[in-house]
Amino acid sequence: MNKKIIAIVAVILLLVAIYWVYSTFISPKGEEGKKQVTIHVVISKEDIDQTFEYTTEHEFLYDLLKEKEKELGASFQSYDFGVMVTGMMNYVADESQQEFFHIAVNGEDATTGPQEIPLKDGDVYKFELKNW
Amino acid sequence: MKTMKPRDIALISLLSASITAGKFVLSFIPNVEIVTLLFIVYTVSFGLKRSLLVSVVFVTTEILIYGFSTWVIGYYFVWPVLILVTWMMKSRIKSEYGYAAIAGIHGCLFGAYFAVVESIFYGWAYGFSYWLKGILFDGIHGASNYIIALLLFKPLSRIVIMQAERYFGTVN
Repeated sequence: MNKKIIAIVAVILLLVAIYWVYSTFISPKGEEGKKQVTIHVVISKEDIDQTFEYTTEHEFLYDLLKEKEKELGASFQSYDFGVMVTGMMNYVADESQQEFFHIAVNGEDATTGPQEIPLKDGDVYKFELKNW
Repeated sequence: MKTMKPRDIALISLLSASITAGKFVLSFIPNVEIVTLLFIVYTVSFGLKRSLLVSVVFVTTEILIYGFSTWVIGYYFVWPVLILVTWMMKSRIKSEYGYAAIAGIHGCLFGAYFAVVESIFYGWAYGFSYWLKGILFDGIHGASNYIIALLLFKPLSRIVIMQAERYFGTVN
């Protein structure tokens, strides 16, 4: 049994080391200080094409969206892997019609969710209703 | 197992149901699961063909529950790979440490398997960022798999074999 306990402790220590490497070198880092950013919302089927300018001290997109939740009509859904934006301008994407909100940062497809998208001064974050 | 006997069909149904139930029971804890351990125990206890069929039934049941998506393709791939690796290593592994190592490595590679599938659909850059984003969860998955297999492989396989012989006679 002692051998098993040693093996389990070794695995837990290895996991702590992985966590340290991840949080130090891999996880996205936010920028401190004031930033001017643009939120662009496009929902073609509802004739919505609106732009919002914000000055914020938040470091990640999700925090800004939460603060402006009412103004942006934003809604979210939490999963094991993070949070997804399910609605903007009070329009909720209809999964049965394969709808989702596509996020682009300065015209480039975002590869992570809003919790991991760092806010940078001058950046434009576009939310567009699309079908998968 | 040259031809499928009613006994085998019943056994495969029971085993796949136990895996679906096992997954459901632990689904509230992210990246902690008992599916890997069950597939290893079933492969060692009931052989390659039965376990491969169990994996097909299990993944198909997952589709019926959660719907079809790109991850399903990964699921049809990851479990048979685990079964094949376990089967090939079976004669060389002398203790539960070996099976715990297989379970741990399988958990650590889980994100990488799916990253390959995602890459086919969305490109290698997306696949790489998908893998990198989930690397911490893969670490948790690998560690929890290792600990679960280390503690439960021996007692579980003893019970499984005992019950199988009780109801089905000799299974292999």
